[in-house]
Amino acid sequence: MRETSTYTEADLISGCARGDRNAQRMLYERYASVMYPVCVRYLGREDAKDVLQEAFLTVFDKIGTYKGEGSFEGWMRKIFINASLMQLRKSDVLRRTDEISETPEAAGTVEHGVLEQISTKELLDLVAGLPAGLRSVFNLFAIEGYTHAEVGELLGITEQSSRSQLSRARSLLQKKIKELYNGNKRI
Amino acid sequence: METNAFDKLLRERLEGAVEPAPDVWEGISKGLERRHRLVVFRRWSIAVTAAAAALAIALLVFRGPRTAGPVDAPVQTAQANPATQVEQPVVPEVAPVQSPAEVAPIQDQIRQFTQRQTVAVAQKPVVPATPAVEEQPVAETPAVVAETPAETPATVAPVQDKPADEPSGLLTQDDLPADYWDRQEREDTQADTHTSQISILSNLTTVSSEGGLLYQPGAMHASSQTGKGQATSQVEPLATSPKFFLPVSLGVQADFRITDRFSIGTGLTYSYLVSQYDMLVDKVLYEGAYNQLHYLGIPLRLSYHFVQTPHFGFYASAGAAAEKCISQRYVYGSNTLHEKVGGLQWSAGLGLGVEYWFVPRVGIYFDPSLVYFFDNSQPLSIRTQQPLQAKFEVGFRFKI
Repeated sequence: MRETSTYTEADLISGCARGDRNAQRMLYERYASVMYPVCVRYLGREDAKDVLQEAFLTVFDKIGTYKGEGSFEGWMRKIFINASLMQLRKSDVLRRTDEISETPEAAGTVEHGVLEQISTKELLDLVAGLPAGLRSVFNLFAIEGYTHAEVGELLGITEQSSRSQLSRARSLLQKKIKELYNGNKRI
Repeated sequence: METNAFDKLLRERLEGAVEPAPDVWEGISKGLERRHRLVVFRRWSIAVTAAAAALAIALLVFRGPRTAGPVDAPVQTAQANPATQVEQPVVPEVAPVQSPAEVAPIQDQIRQFTQRQTVAVAQKPVVPATPAVEEQPVAETPAVVAETPAETPATVAPVQDKPADEPSGLLTQDDLPADYWDRQEREDTQADTHTSQISILSNLTTVSSEGGLLYQPGAMHASSQTGKGQATSQVEPLATSPKFFLPVSLGVQADFRITDRFSIGTGLTYSYLVSQYDMLVDKVLYEGAYNQLHYLGIPLRLSYHFVQTPHFGFYASAGAAAEKCISQRYVYGSNTLHEKVGGLQWSAGLGLGVEYWFVPRVGIYFDPSLVYFFDNSQPLSIRTQQPLQAKFEVGFRFKI
């Protein structure tokens, strides 16, 4: 058997479309570590594992519909984001978060160099620790690059709500980053 | 730090890879295996049904020429023989045969007659034979008829005294009662049609599908019910975009003749229905979950056979069936959930059928019918969404 790295992306896609279990395994190994953080950012670690499984099954189911337009990773990422949002919708947390009117105190800006002192895992946990609605808006707008109109459509909220939730999410995240940084420094 | 710069830096840091737990692939692998089995089962069901249908069509289209049996031969000879037609007016004078016991002696003579006729046709000695018949004065015919055993047992004796191979002493076609062949044919048919039959069947039910094997309604009016009152878990189908796969049935059925034209049939059928839709399990949403239903049913149907020949039969039937869901399974992600279903699924149907007996006791049949499934609080399926369905049943029949 060839090494995973010797298979091109096209090889893996066509293998998965044929239902080749080796190709499916290799595709999983290549992308699991990239897609898992996506799910964690939206859901936290606990639910991310289940959604990762579900979304990979969806990828293998639908891979025949990928026509090579745009990057394959981008196509996969959309599936994982949709699966994560679906998981949030089913527990109704998005609507509950939208009702939060509390705005965190201004935390001030994060100094240059602070983020470098925090590990990716810690940052992921910080984002995952945000309330579901704020977290979703922040992920979609700041990380994935959606517009407020698109975020509103995806989450079933207004554009204005998306803007205000993004603002709250940034403030809360900066506050938490500072707290974590200060805590790390003390250690 | 500006918000844009903060977002950009955070984005870069979050792009780092994080490995998921090692058991994630195991869950995916199990899910893939389950889906694979479902696909294989579906393909086999379709292939078996298609093969049965193809075999039925092939046998109907390419059946070989029917060979004339010894009983048929005299009939064909009689129709072709002008001498017989000339002498037919004599036949009404013959007293009708009253019982099978009385017919038995004459049948022996018919067999001899048939053999002789067959040999005669083969060797072309017809020319001397025909003038002999033609030369017989009409007035003498009653005398010949009087010698037939159909009249009385006493008249049989002179015939039996003659050597078996003497042509002049044997019955001829025109010696037979006028309705002899009609009676024979009726008796043959009755002997055939009074036989009970066992059918091994499979059927496909059509759905008003736009996409081949899937029925995907454009709009749904309501989420449907799950098994009435017996749900063990909070399962709620969301009828947003359900897909229904073609239902497949297999079964065994016995038909019993109750009169010449009517038969009644019953048996045991197994049906498998698969649907795919979003659903909430304990208030958790699962997209594209599968629902598999297994039904065992007892059909009862009355058939009227309006055409019956040794090879073909055409009939109309009406009936009803009661089916019990013996298993309901939800497959969502890597999880499965079994749920009991209460009550019975009742249905009623009307149909037409054609059967072809390619050997005397083995035949195939094709029954297209319309079936209506009543609302009996059964789980969401093609039957609850489209109660009136066209069903195409094909199978093999065995006379017992």
